[in-house]
Amino acid sequence: MAFVLDKINKGFGGLEVIKDLSMQEEENRIVCILGPSGAGKTTLLNLMSGVMKADSGQISGFSGHSISYLFQETRLLPWKTVRENIDFVLKDKLPRHQREQTIARYLETVELSPFASYYPARLSGGMKQRVSIARAFAYPADVLLMDEPFKGLDTQLKMSLIKSFIRLWTLDRRSVFFVTHDIQEAVLIGHLVYVLTDRPASIKGRIINPVPHEQRDDSNAPELQSIEQAIYQLVTL
Amino acid sequence: MINSSTNNKIITALSILAMLLTWHGLALLIGKEYILPTPAQTGLSLLLIMQSQDFWPAVLLTVGRGLLGFLISLGLGIILGMAAGFSRVINWLLRPWVTVMRSTPVMSVIILAIIWFESNLVPVVVAILMLFPIIYGNVVAGIRNINQEWLEMARMYKVKPRRIIAELYFPAILPYLLAGATTAMGIAWKVIIAAEILSQPTRAIGTDLMIAKFNFATAQVLAWTVVVIMISFVFESLLGAWENNLTNWRR
Repeated sequence: MAFVLDKINKGFGGLEVIKDLSMQEEENRIVCILGPSGAGKTTLLNLMSGVMKADSGQISGFSGHSISYLFQETRLLPWKTVRENIDFVLKDKLPRHQREQTIARYLETVELSPFASYYPARLSGGMKQRVSIARAFAYPADVLLMDEPFKGLDTQLKMSLIKSFIRLWTLDRRSVFFVTHDIQEAVLIGHLVYVLTDRPASIKGRIINPVPHEQRDDSNAPELQSIEQAIYQLVTL
Repeated sequence: MINSSTNNKIITALSILAMLLTWHGLALLIGKEYILPTPAQTGLSLLLIMQSQDFWPAVLLTVGRGLLGFLISLGLGIILGMAAGFSRVINWLLRPWVTVMRSTPVMSVIILAIIWFESNLVPVVVAILMLFPIIYGNVVAGIRNINQEWLEMARMYKVKPRRIIAELYFPAILPYLLAGATTAMGIAWKVIIAAEILSQPTRAIGTDLMIAKFNFATAQVLAWTVVVIMISFVFESLLGAWENNLTNWRR
């Protein structure tokens, strides 16, 4: 197994946030971690990225890998253009001509090529989040950690961003760990969905979603509905 | 339909006209040139002093002292402000020094500077002591208020620290720095003239102002004052243009 979390515990002060959490996953899958707000999902990502250390337990597979991120906020620097914002994270990693090609390619995939020299202030919220998706994929990383990047967006925008994301992932597969509180997002995006308990977080269940992404557009498909149903039952358990 | 920028210009012009009319009216009412000359008399006096061969040397040297003091304050303010913004220890070390500088009356600083330094240097030293705390304070505030999410993003993407400083910290504190620089620039000329009046360098606007006062040449006093206002206005505009240029990403 490429990524292993073995009996992870993490607390802050006296507050237990993660308790005996274990998971094992292979590379190049989209792993959704579904849990209620405040259940320690962000903490889990921070443990994976190595920003935080677990109080006990073993984490393997992440260290040594280059990691990129998608946050709930777009975190674009307002004084840099779209192109410069992506270049900001690439500059120390790639030579110049390669950066130019990479940026052009990913901006095209998220349909933002005409806006390459715009400052973020002139883009809509959805466009900005697409830039940050392009930045995450343009960055040469094997692992992508996503912390509710579609939270608080309207349904239509969310759908179009998810499409952009899936399109990028299909072209350029990475190991994705995606935390969300939204069942619909989890059904649309994940190859696997882990359902977390309330705090302290541990694993309630793991559901496999074998439906290919290109067939997930139709949310009425019976197979998708039964998976959504299964997740829902697990969440409300 | 007149656009708002033209509109504002008209209002400004009317306001300046009202100012000149009030001045003219008061001068006529008082009727004594050595107490309050009319704007026309002041203008004439301005033309006369501009023709004297000492005019440009005095103006250039005063501007030079002001700029020197301003630039040294800017440099020190940026370097020490960033150091104090990053390090708690440096911040606490510098705090008493800055507090003393902030609270010392301008006149005490000028008198002490006259005792300690050569007269040409006095205005520069005074300007540094007055302007540095303003710029320093703004730089520290800029660093304190930086968006932590941007920093986290940069660190997570493993951007080199040198580039985080140049491409994230520096642009983020720039609006604070520019606001501090604008305030400092406005104060600079007032402080420089005050210091020159007391320290009397050979060639200086302040010295000429004082000479005019001794000669009861009130029109000349006002003419030199107009020169200082012009200098102040020019540098404020330059700074404003620079600010617009550097922060064009806001629009």
